[in-house]
Amino acid sequence: MTAPAGSILRLRRAAARPSIRACLAAGLIFGGLAGLRAQTQKPTEYEVQAAYLSNFGRFVEYPARTSAASDVFNVCVLGPDPFGSLLDAALRNEAINGVPMAAKRIGTPEEGAACRIVFLTVSKESQLTAILSTLGATGALTVSGMPNFARRGGMVQFILDGNRVRFEINLAAAQRARLTLSSQLLKLAVAVRRAP
Amino acid sequence: MTGARFPMFRRRNYSIRQKLTSMNMLVSGAALLLACTAFAIYELADFRTTMVNSLSTQAQIIGANSASALLFNDAESARNTLSALQASPNIISASIYTRSNNIFATWSRHGGEDAPLFPGIPTGQTLTYSFGGNELVLTRVIDFQGKRIGAVRIRSDLSEVSGRLVRYTGIVAAVLAMSLFAAFVFSSIFQKATARPIAQLADTARIVSREKKYSVRAPTTTNADEIALLIEAFNEMLGQIQERDSALQAGRDELELRVVRRTAQLEAVNRELESFTYSVAHDLRAPLRHIQGFADALIEECSGQIDEAARGYLTRIIESTRRMDQLINDLLGLAQVGRQELRVQPTKLDPLVNDVVRDLNHETQGRNIEWRIGDLPTVDCDPGLIKLVFHNLLSNAVKYTRPRDPAIIEAGQQTVEGERVIYIRDNGVGFNMKYAHKLFGVFERLHRREDFEGTGVGLATVQRIIHKHGGRIWAEAAVDRGATFFLTLPTAGQSKTL
Amino acid sequence: MSEAASILLVEDDPHDVELTLRAFHSENVQGRIEIARDGEEALDYLFCRGAFRSRTPDQQPALVLLDLKLPKVGGLQVLREVKASVECQSTPIVVMTSSGERRDVTESYRLGANGYIQKPVDVAEFRKAIRALAAYWLGVNLSPSRSRPGQVSAMPAPGAR
Repeated sequence: MTAPAGSILRLRRAAARPSIRACLAAGLIFGGLAGLRAQTQKPTEYEVQAAYLSNFGRFVEYPARTSAASDVFNVCVLGPDPFGSLLDAALRNEAINGVPMAAKRIGTPEEGAACRIVFLTVSKESQLTAILSTLGATGALTVSGMPNFARRGGMVQFILDGNRVRFEINLAAAQRARLTLSSQLLKLAVAVRRAP
Repeated sequence: MTGARFPMFRRRNYSIRQKLTSMNMLVSGAALLLACTAFAIYELADFRTTMVNSLSTQAQIIGANSASALLFNDAESARNTLSALQASPNIISASIYTRSNNIFATWSRHGGEDAPLFPGIPTGQTLTYSFGGNELVLTRVIDFQGKRIGAVRIRSDLSEVSGRLVRYTGIVAAVLAMSLFAAFVFSSIFQKATARPIAQLADTARIVSREKKYSVRAPTTTNADEIALLIEAFNEMLGQIQERDSALQAGRDELELRVVRRTAQLEAVNRELESFTYSVAHDLRAPLRHIQGFADALIEECSGQIDEAARGYLTRIIESTRRMDQLINDLLGLAQVGRQELRVQPTKLDPLVNDVVRDLNHETQGRNIEWRIGDLPTVDCDPGLIKLVFHNLLSNAVKYTRPRDPAIIEAGQQTVEGERVIYIRDNGVGFNMKYAHKLFGVFERLHRREDFEGTGVGLATVQRIIHKHGGRIWAEAAVDRGATFFLTLPTAGQSKTL
Repeated sequence: MSEAASILLVEDDPHDVELTLRAFHSENVQGRIEIARDGEEALDYLFCRGAFRSRTPDQQPALVLLDLKLPKVGGLQVLREVKASVECQSTPIVVMTSSGERRDVTESYRLGANGYIQKPVDVAEFRKAIRALAAYWLGVNLSPSRSRPGQVSAMPAPGAR
């Protein structure tokens, strides 16, 4: 049963009326997408992905971290930011276990040490293996929409199914990074790779 | 039994045994019913709470399990989670709502249900529920990591509750029936100690009062309770009655004996009296006859030889004998009245008095007498004796009105203080009421012999006759203003047996 | 010469006898009066036995005046015997006695008396009674021993027998 189109927008605690919000969101998405090498997708796709990004962290158990990044839950974007203000909007006033969430843009994988989630843009596809190995040591959840991301070692890969955003999970990769993914999340995945 | 209206409970128709039994059954029945009802109510209330709790828990679980689906907009997954409710047989349908209260996923046991509108949860509460129709509808918020992300609504039918209710009722009814039966049985067993002795006592009492047999005794019991006391006292009482009865009987027998002896004595005395009277009648009269006869002979045959004075004396001798003769007759009459048996019959007094008036005619020759005889009643009496009474009274009236012209003699009846009284009134010389108490005495006279003749026995005889009839006689008079004699006699149909 | 007595007076008291005879005399009753002083004598006379053997049965008195209180044989007994006998039962007997007792009256009639008179104490009354008695029994009444009324013999002096 597909949810009516307006319900996705209501995942946010938005006080504004849906119709205005939809226009605004649509406008933002259009604006944000204007500067990117746009993929063939619906205008709300990034909004959904931003929403997912804000929620993934609730289903992930991170190992104890000694770095100072434990007082802020950073959702980082590596590469040219396709979200624009969408990610910030999705993370605004959100917290996971009392830890406030924030969006961060990083340029190098090494900066990923301060991140809990790292979203890799499509442009990084060529250096993927190196990035992943670097990020692997940081203990962050790697998410991307690039094809074969999960097969190539990425932990969560966004998959477009009709007009729905779904994801594939590489559990082995998450386990290598000592991340425990909740079964609640796993059951929603289109596919779960368990083999390394 | 309970709740029946009073006509059925007419207590006086039920025996003690029935009353005790029904009382027992009522008490135990009522107690049980109250207890069972209380428990049932508690159970059901509790069960409601339990159901709500259970449903709330299930909602919570559903919520927890569908958090991710909500967050990640996976309605399919949410529906799968909901369908797990299939396992709860009472749940009819369930729905998950988004944070903005739109329906997200629905599952229904029998399929094909419209997505129901979100029933609101009041702010500040995490759940709300309502019992309606045969359903419990519970709506609970889905909290995930401190945030409300949606709500789940479950609809459960209350068939389990009503099923329980039915089972409870069945159990209560069964228990009630069995306990009533047990109460009935035990009551019947134990009534031996209470109702039976009482019933036996009642039976004995009935026998005693119906057949007047005081020799029976109520059977005693081995208890030492109030019933046994009652029975003991009752038996003792019967014993006392018996004793008293036999004492009474002995007394009566003795009295009977005494009466018999006394009667024999009296009869002997009476017989003596009779023969005495008989002798008197003959033997007193003969010398009288001789005295008078020879005195007369003297006057007749020796008139030349005796002077006036002697003749005078002889005349007085003759008069005295006449008087004595009259006295003897009157006394004999008086005695006769005393001895004689009354032959009572309803008698019309009108013709009787008229007869007497006719008989008195020879005494009233040449006199101006106005007879005013009114209506007289019919009375129960001995006609002969009552005729004598009227003869005496009317003859007296004639005698004592001799100086009057006209003499007015009345007879009639009047009511005095509710009693019917016959009166005989004359306008004669009357008498002084000072001497009224002597009126009916034997030989008592209230007038001098030279004024009015008489033996003084007539009224005594009259009184004796009236008293024998159970009546009363009295008189009122004033000197020179006449006299009235009143008498009462039982009206026809009221006579006393003497 | 002995003639048939008209009246047999059975009375024991001499005073009563005298007074009765005096009464008969003063009333001029014709006829002889015989006196019997007790019941035995009366019976002997009527049955023509004993001292009166010489009498003949056909000479019955026209009337017997019988007192009840008699020595030897009582008046009622005399009555009984006379009325029970064949030869004398038709002789008229009137009981003349002091008693007026009902039982004497009823008994007398039961035994066959032809009449009953209570002797009054009063002389005048007595005379009246004797007059009536004689007028009827010796006058009007036809006794069995006589065929015509009115035929009586001269009465002897009082005291004679």
